[in-house]
Amino acid sequence: MVIDSRHGDADVERSAWVAIADGLDAISTGIAIWGSDRRLLYANQSFRRSFGANGSEIAAGLTFSDYLRHAARSGEWLLPGPGNQWIESQEALFGIDERSEVTLADGRTLDVAQKPVAGGGMALTIRDVSSTKQSERALRHAKEKAEEMDQAKSRFLRAASHDLRQPLATLRILVYNCMREEDKDRRDATLHVMETAVSIMEDLLGSLLQIGQLDAGRIIPRVTTFQLGELFRRLDVQFRHLADEKALVMRFVAPRGAVTSDKALLERILSNLVANAIRYTEFGGILIGCRRVGRALRIEVWDTGAGIEAEYLPRIFDEFYKAPNATRTQKTSLGLGLNIVKRLASLLEHEVTVRSSPNNGTVFTIAVPIGNLWHSAIGEPEISEMLGGEFVGMVMLVIEDDDVLRRAMKELLERWGIIVLAVDSQEQALQVLDLEKAVPRLIIADYNLRGRFGTEVVRALHDALGRDAPSIIVTADADPCVIERIKLEGFPVLIKPVSPPRLRVLMHKLIFEPG
Amino acid sequence: MSSIHAKGPPIPIGSMVPLSGPSAADGAEFRKGVVLATEEVNARGGVQGRPLHPIFVDTRHQSAEEVVAAACKLIEVDKVHAIINGYNIGAQNSEYEPIANAGIIYIHHNTLLQHHDTVLSDPERYFGCFMADPADYWYGQGFIKFISWLRDTAQWKAPSNRIAIVSGSKPYSIVIANAMAAAAAQFGWNVAFGPHVVATPTTNWRAVLKMVRAVEPAVIANTHFYSGDLAHFQLQFMENPTNSIVYLQYGAMHQSFIDIAQAKAAGVIVSTVVGLLRDDMGQRFARRYIQRFGEGSTPQVGCQSYIAVHHYAIATAIAGGSGGPGEFEQNHAVARALRETIYRSVAGTIRYHPKWQAAMPYPDYVLDPSLGLPHLFYQIQDWKNGPLALIAPEPYNTEHFVLPPWIQTSS
Repeated sequence: MVIDSRHGDADVERSAWVAIADGLDAISTGIAIWGSDRRLLYANQSFRRSFGANGSEIAAGLTFSDYLRHAARSGEWLLPGPGNQWIESQEALFGIDERSEVTLADGRTLDVAQKPVAGGGMALTIRDVSSTKQSERALRHAKEKAEEMDQAKSRFLRAASHDLRQPLATLRILVYNCMREEDKDRRDATLHVMETAVSIMEDLLGSLLQIGQLDAGRIIPRVTTFQLGELFRRLDVQFRHLADEKALVMRFVAPRGAVTSDKALLERILSNLVANAIRYTEFGGILIGCRRVGRALRIEVWDTGAGIEAEYLPRIFDEFYKAPNATRTQKTSLGLGLNIVKRLASLLEHEVTVRSSPNNGTVFTIAVPIGNLWHSAIGEPEISEMLGGEFVGMVMLVIEDDDVLRRAMKELLERWGIIVLAVDSQEQALQVLDLEKAVPRLIIADYNLRGRFGTEVVRALHDALGRDAPSIIVTADADPCVIERIKLEGFPVLIKPVSPPRLRVLMHKLIFEPG
Repeated sequence: MSSIHAKGPPIPIGSMVPLSGPSAADGAEFRKGVVLATEEVNARGGVQGRPLHPIFVDTRHQSAEEVVAAACKLIEVDKVHAIINGYNIGAQNSEYEPIANAGIIYIHHNTLLQHHDTVLSDPERYFGCFMADPADYWYGQGFIKFISWLRDTAQWKAPSNRIAIVSGSKPYSIVIANAMAAAAAQFGWNVAFGPHVVATPTTNWRAVLKMVRAVEPAVIANTHFYSGDLAHFQLQFMENPTNSIVYLQYGAMHQSFIDIAQAKAAGVIVSTVVGLLRDDMGQRFARRYIQRFGEGSTPQVGCQSYIAVHHYAIATAIAGGSGGPGEFEQNHAVARALRETIYRSVAGTIRYHPKWQAAMPYPDYVLDPSLGLPHLFYQIQDWKNGPLALIAPEPYNTEHFVLPPWIQTSS
């Protein structure tokens, strides 16, 4: 410490001490100095503040033992063990060059360093290193995640190269055979086998991608309440032909009621279980049904396949595991299906069980919480006329030769859920109607169509259609004579710019309440 | 009630109500709702010391011309700061145009999906337009959930999965019928007939009933809503009833339905997306309403405009006052307060969707009963004496569903 004492006067020296004390109070590092008698000589504000509200008790003259007792009692420092033991160990370390880390109750981390000073005392510094620690933790976490991803990627590539090689090799031979084959029937047969090989590769890639997504933690469940019946119908459509090909009887017994789960993920789980059941069953059938167990619905997939020996059961959910007794076709699978089932089920917190009897078959079950039907999600969360309006799905013809107006009218009508055929002339209208094989429920025509009147064009279209579709004429000409003429020709008329509610009222009247 | 009478200059509030024409019965109740609410607000000192002054215009047949003329008169002549009323469904939102031009607040109960489209098409222009009940669309899917709930909880054994849907020719009825049809398959139902649009009003349903009976439906829904027409539908259905649940849209809640259908009304299901609750709050309101307007009045209908006036008064107070035609900035503040202030009314919670500016329904859209207006399902049980039995949804239901008398229990 350097004190400017050129004036040699006590006041100056005192001022210097005050300046030093103020300066030390201003820095964020806590500083405390102990004398050889183990009594506190000085502590700056930061040091006192690290003891919270009781920091004022840290005052000059405090013994090192009392200081330690105070730290232990304050509840601000999280001690590594019982308070007494910690006090004893710290007392033994007085005056020794030492460094440690202390975690505070508010989650911060302090770096505590002590150094001996000349004459037998000790200087103690406390520094808040929380942000550095946090960055370290974040970096470590990111590194672990990157390593995990890297491992997953390696595993993915290993599996992909191993399991895709076989059908690929088969495909190469088949392509070569096919090129040389001159007999059409044999070539067709080879092509059929090639198609099968391609579909196997497709399945393998699909499974690998699912595992890849699970490894990367990219699958986030979206839990809703829905009817299981609909999901069963989808699975039936998906697997019916496979079961038929093996002459297996497949039955879905859909329950009444709703369940709460992620619909897409539950479908993946069940499709893996059903696919497995079909793959490992040669005779008999597959039954997919449900049982109510407490507040859950247990979905059960029964098969009459070869079954699994008890010794292999614990391993069947492992990655890349294939039962040793699997046949050649069964071995075309990656052994990932049940691993996907297990991992998705654990993501959804649904319990999966299996029981099997060799030569009799296997039952896989998954328990899904029963949902409140009133909470069922229906279609789009944001409703609009595009989904539920009165004109939804109707085909309408718009004839307008102004590109901007035609586009605006098309957009307006499409927002109401209407299928709009927008054209600029009678010729184009006839072409489009012929091409689309459509009969419009309503025609909206501009009155002035490049030298022709909209009323004429509409009449020509009525002739071509063989019927009078309800029609509206729109015009920018507000001349009462023009309006009167259009009305006399028997058409309702709207003046441009067309007001959407007026158009809607008129459309409704013409379509639903004519006369 | 102790009263601190409002003394400041009155705030003119317009109300477009069908006081004559086919909806005159509802119109009279919507008028009473506004009267009672303004009296209550004024007795408590009004809005920042200013009393609400209601001005009514008869919208008769609720055609676009009649409703638009009513809105123009209220804005141009009476300089109203807000228009608050029940429904005027014939105008199909035409009245939004003069209201948007004037920049005032409009709270209505048109129950039309078109409100969503109009507001979303230009949120800045239609900032002041609010629909205080959920759109017609929600009736459709809410009904499908309701019959699925009856089936899945074994309160009723559906003889088949077939549904027949008959619709009236108003947009409201067609939208509900379409929504029912769209949601049916997801819950295991098969729309075996319809949606079939019948030109309404009509009292002759025999032709369509013949077609309905041919498919032997487990459920028959008629989405037309005039109580007299529906009473004739029910009487003609009862000439040769099938083993079907019968659901009749909204109008069957009225006493006039029971007056015509009498004993044959018993068993019919009806629902509303905005109705008076049977809890303490609802009962106290009903007593006040009947005390004020007499035994023949219907608080179940009048509650709609009553709630909207109270909600407007609260929002206006939060916004620091109301704004007349042209005072866009002040009315923007009121609109914001309406959107942000959740109001637990005598019909349940009014919570406007931030984009649609329509009340969100429970359980059709929100799953928390404290955050949505309940879609209430009733059954006519004791047709002579009792009120309609409120059978769903929880926690508002007070009675249970019973099998309609025409359903054969052996099935």
